[in-house]
Amino acid sequence: MKVLHRIEADFEESISTSSDETKEIRIDNFNEFKKLGIPTSKQEFWKFTNPSIIKDSELTLGLSKNYDDENYDIIVINGKLTKKNDDIKINNINESLAEKKISNEIFGITNNPFINLNNAFSTEGCVVSFKDNTEQEVRILNVVNNTTSKQITHPRIIVNVGKNSNISIFEEIRFLGNKENLVNSVTNFILDEGSKVEHILVDDYSENTYQISNVLVKQKRDSNFSSYNYSNGKKLVRKDFIIELKERGAHCDLRGVYLADQKNHIDHHTIIEHEDEHCTSNELYKGILSGKSTAVFNGRIHVHKAAQKTDAIQSNQNLLLSDDAVIHTKPELEIYADDVKCTHGATIGRLDEKGIFYLRARGIKREEAQKMMMRAYIGEVLGGMKNSKAKEALLEKIIENIPEGE
Amino acid sequence: MLKIKNLYASVEETSILNGIDLEVKAGETHAIMGPNGSGKSTLAQVIAGHEDYEVEKGSIEYFGEDLLELDVDERACEGIFLAFQYPVELPGVNNTYFLKSALNAQRKHRGEDEIDAMDFMDIISDKIKLLNLKESLLKRPVNEGFSGGEKKRNEIFQMAVLEPKLALLDETDSGLDIDALKIVANGVNAMKSPERSTVVVTHYQRLLNYIVPDFVHVLVDGKIVKSGDKNLALELEEKGYEEVIKEAKK
Repeated sequence: MKVLHRIEADFEESISTSSDETKEIRIDNFNEFKKLGIPTSKQEFWKFTNPSIIKDSELTLGLSKNYDDENYDIIVINGKLTKKNDDIKINNINESLAEKKISNEIFGITNNPFINLNNAFSTEGCVVSFKDNTEQEVRILNVVNNTTSKQITHPRIIVNVGKNSNISIFEEIRFLGNKENLVNSVTNFILDEGSKVEHILVDDYSENTYQISNVLVKQKRDSNFSSYNYSNGKKLVRKDFIIELKERGAHCDLRGVYLADQKNHIDHHTIIEHEDEHCTSNELYKGILSGKSTAVFNGRIHVHKAAQKTDAIQSNQNLLLSDDAVIHTKPELEIYADDVKCTHGATIGRLDEKGIFYLRARGIKREEAQKMMMRAYIGEVLGGMKNSKAKEALLEKIIENIPEGE
Repeated sequence: MLKIKNLYASVEETSILNGIDLEVKAGETHAIMGPNGSGKSTLAQVIAGHEDYEVEKGSIEYFGEDLLELDVDERACEGIFLAFQYPVELPGVNNTYFLKSALNAQRKHRGEDEIDAMDFMDIISDKIKLLNLKESLLKRPVNEGFSGGEKKRNEIFQMAVLEPKLALLDETDSGLDIDALKIVANGVNAMKSPERSTVVVTHYQRLLNYIVPDFVHVLVDGKIVKSGDKNLALELEEKGYEEVIKEAKK
C-alpha cells in the first residue's frame, strides 16, 4: 500500500515536534489505524462506499498557509487554525491536551480507522469553548488548500458547550484549487446540561474531492443538538454522525440534504445512541440524485436497556431524476428497552407530476414548477432552522446546485 | 371564443371523446352534463391541455388560434382556467407564494410588470372575502389539510385572482354542502362579464340553480347527444339521463 508508506513518513516527521503529553496518544492512534488498515467493501460498515481507491494514491499531508475572510469568526486551513475572533475562547488541541483542558477520551482509539488517523494528525486543530449560559453565533470556515496534487488533510474542531448555553454554529468548507484531495475531518461536540447547539454544516465540495467526515456528539442531560447537514457529493463522500444521548432528557434533530450527479458518490451513516431514559431524536434526510450517481443512507438507532421512554423518529426520502441513479437506504433499529417509540421510513420517488400539472395549469412554466416543488421538498428539511439568514442562503444554494434531470 | 370541431381524444389507447362539436361565445355560460364516464371531465382536461390525453382528430380554436398548439401553462396564460375536480395538495408550497407566482407568470406572458406586493395583498384580501375563506389558509401550503369544501372554494378563489377569459369548472359542486355551494356559485357569478365565458361540468342540476347556464349539453359516450337551454337540466333532473338519452336517439 503506497498510501501507508507516505502517510507514515509524514507521521514520523510531525510526531517529532509533538509534546510528550500528546505523543503517546497519537502513536497509539496511528498504530491502530495501521492495524485496521483502509476498509474495503467486504466490511458491512463500508459495503457501498469503498475507500480502498485511496490506497493507490500517494497522499501527501497538506500544508497550511494564511487565509482570511472577514465573514468568518474562525478560519481553519488544512487543519490549522489561522484566524479567530477575540470574543471566542479557542485553544490549540496540543496545548489543551497537555494542560488537560480536554479529556484524553476524545482521542481514544476507535474502530473507525479514519477517526484514528485524524486523532494521530490533528493536534494543530482547535478547541472552541463556550462558558455556561453563553449565547453566541459563530461562523467557521474550513479551507482546504488543494493546490498540491493528491494531498490529505485532517481538519479537527472540538466544540465544548457549557451549561444552558445557546450556540449557533455555521460551518462551511471552501476549496482553493481543484486538485485531487482527501479531506479526513472530525468534529466533536460536547454538550453540557441544558445547552442548545444548532450546527449548520455546508459541504459544497470541489470536483476532485474525496471526503471522509465524522461528526461526533456527546450530550448531557436536557441538552439539545440540531444538525443541518448539506452535502453536494463529489468523487466520494462518506459522512458519519454519531450522536450519544448520554443522559435523560437529551434531544437531537438530524436534518440532511444531499445532492449527487454524474458518477458521484455520497454516503451518510448516522448512529444515534439512546443511552438513558426520556431521550428523543428526530431525523430527516432527503436526497436528490441524477446521472449515474450513487447515494447511501444508513440510519442506525440504538436504544440501550436503560433508555425507557425513548421516542425516535427517522425518515429518509429520495428523489431520483434519472433512471441510472442509485440509492441504498437502510434503517437499523436495535432496541433493548421495552417501553419505547421508534418509527422509521424510507421513500424513493420522482417529482409529483400531478403537482407540476396543477402549477402549470395556473400559468407557471414547467421549469419553474419543478423548482417550486424542489424548493418545497428541501424546505421541509430546513424548516426548523433558527438561523433564518443562513436558512435562506442555504436554500438558495441548494436550489442552485440541484442537478439537471437525466 | 372557443370553437371545438369534431374532437376525438383518447387516453392510453382508450377513446373517450368521439366527435365533440361545441361553440362557446364570449359572455356565455355552458353546462356539460352527462352520466359517469361519459367524458365530461376529459373534455375539460383536453381544453386545459392535459398531456395524458391524446387528441386524435378534430380541432379546438380559441380566439381564432389553434389551441392544441399550446402547452398547458401557455393556455393558462392565454386566460384558460381549470377549476380541478380534485385539487392537488402541494406540501411545502405556500398558498400566497403560489398565487403570486401564477399571477406574475401570467402578467409576464402579457408583457406586464410583476405585481406590486401591496397591490397583490389588496386583491387577495378582497377576493378571499368573496369566497368566505379564512385568511389563515393563505399562509398554509396549497390545499394541504384543507377540507373538501375549502379546496373547492380555493379553486374559485384562485380563479377570482387570476381573472381568466374562459373558466372550466370540473365538478366544482361535488362534495359541497348547500351553503358552500352557494358561496362557490356567488363567487362564479360575481365574475360574470360580457368578456368572460364559463363551462360548467356537472352531474347534477343542483349547481345550475345558482349558476344559471345559457346552454346545457348532454354528453354520452364522448358525444353531445342533446343541447338545449336551462330547462334541459330540469328535464334531466326529472326524467334521468337514460330517458333523455333514449328520446334523443329516436
